[in-house]
Amino acid sequence: MYYKSMLVAALLLLSFPDLAFAKNLNFGTEVDLKQVTKISTILEQPDKYLSSPVTIKGTVVGVCKKRGCWMTIASDKRFENLRIKVRDGDMVFPMSAKGSQAIATGKLNKIEFDLERTKQIKAQQAIAKNEVFDPASVTEPLVIYQLVPTGVSILDQ
Amino acid sequence: MVLVFAVSGIAVNHKDDWNPNYQVTHKLIQAPVTKWHETSDEILLSQIFNYIDEGLEVKATYWASPTQFKVFLKNDGNITLNLDNHQLILEHIEARPVFQAINRLHLNETHRAWIVFSDLFAGLLIFLAISALFMVKGKYSPWGRRAILVAFGFIIPLGFIYW
Repeated sequence: MYYKSMLVAALLLLSFPDLAFAKNLNFGTEVDLKQVTKISTILEQPDKYLSSPVTIKGTVVGVCKKRGCWMTIASDKRFENLRIKVRDGDMVFPMSAKGSQAIATGKLNKIEFDLERTKQIKAQQAIAKNEVFDPASVTEPLVIYQLVPTGVSILDQ
Repeated sequence: MVLVFAVSGIAVNHKDDWNPNYQVTHKLIQAPVTKWHETSDEILLSQIFNYIDEGLEVKATYWASPTQFKVFLKNDGNITLNLDNHQLILEHIEARPVFQAINRLHLNETHRAWIVFSDLFAGLLIFLAISALFMVKGKYSPWGRRAILVAFGFIIPLGFIYW
């Protein structure tokens, strides 16, 4: 009976390692702590940071609910954030990361949408926020920046 | 192994209607018209906790917009305060550990060795399916009256492709 209980406990711990050890959660390669750049600095002149890897640090304020394929990191500046995005399954960020500090090293990626797609995106955002949307109000195509990480560390998980 | 793929297959098929990895619940609290302290997060937090009477420990706070303040809690929950309509939304996130584990396997989100192992398993399933066509002879052979079942095995997927 004792051995059976021990076996069940061991199997449970092996199945759900996150339950067993609450520590930093690391994904991919090691983060480069020597290169930490403020998100506000990056977002002031993002095109300057497209060519070489950068490291960001901040509070996780959003996580993809379905596949854990992105996280939004709060900037040091109010109302500003930067999304880190991976290919589905490459890294799976847990929703429990919300509110924790995260460090991510990777390359900044620029995505430019045409005006039609921009209107669709803005319309979807308006629906999510329960706001009224006028497509005519969109006159500029949307450009977004996101970090494609090679390494992520979520602290104190 | 068959159960891992079958159960998570159903869960993943319905991921648009149901979140297989987390149970997320929302509770809406309508606060009375209040003069919220936008300049001090500490005072703002004490104002928020006047309306949420649970013992909640704060992990971090974040201003998402000039009218939206978020509070992340240590119990995997968070509070969103919408300052314009004085609504508080309490979100609680609970993991579904069993589904999370089997979905990770199904979607190959674990180690590379798992892919090798599941390829071997898939190979054995292919062997099982093909060998079953030739192992049974006589009355129960799949080439007699039971050929109709084999035919359905082809007709059903083809129907979904061309229909």
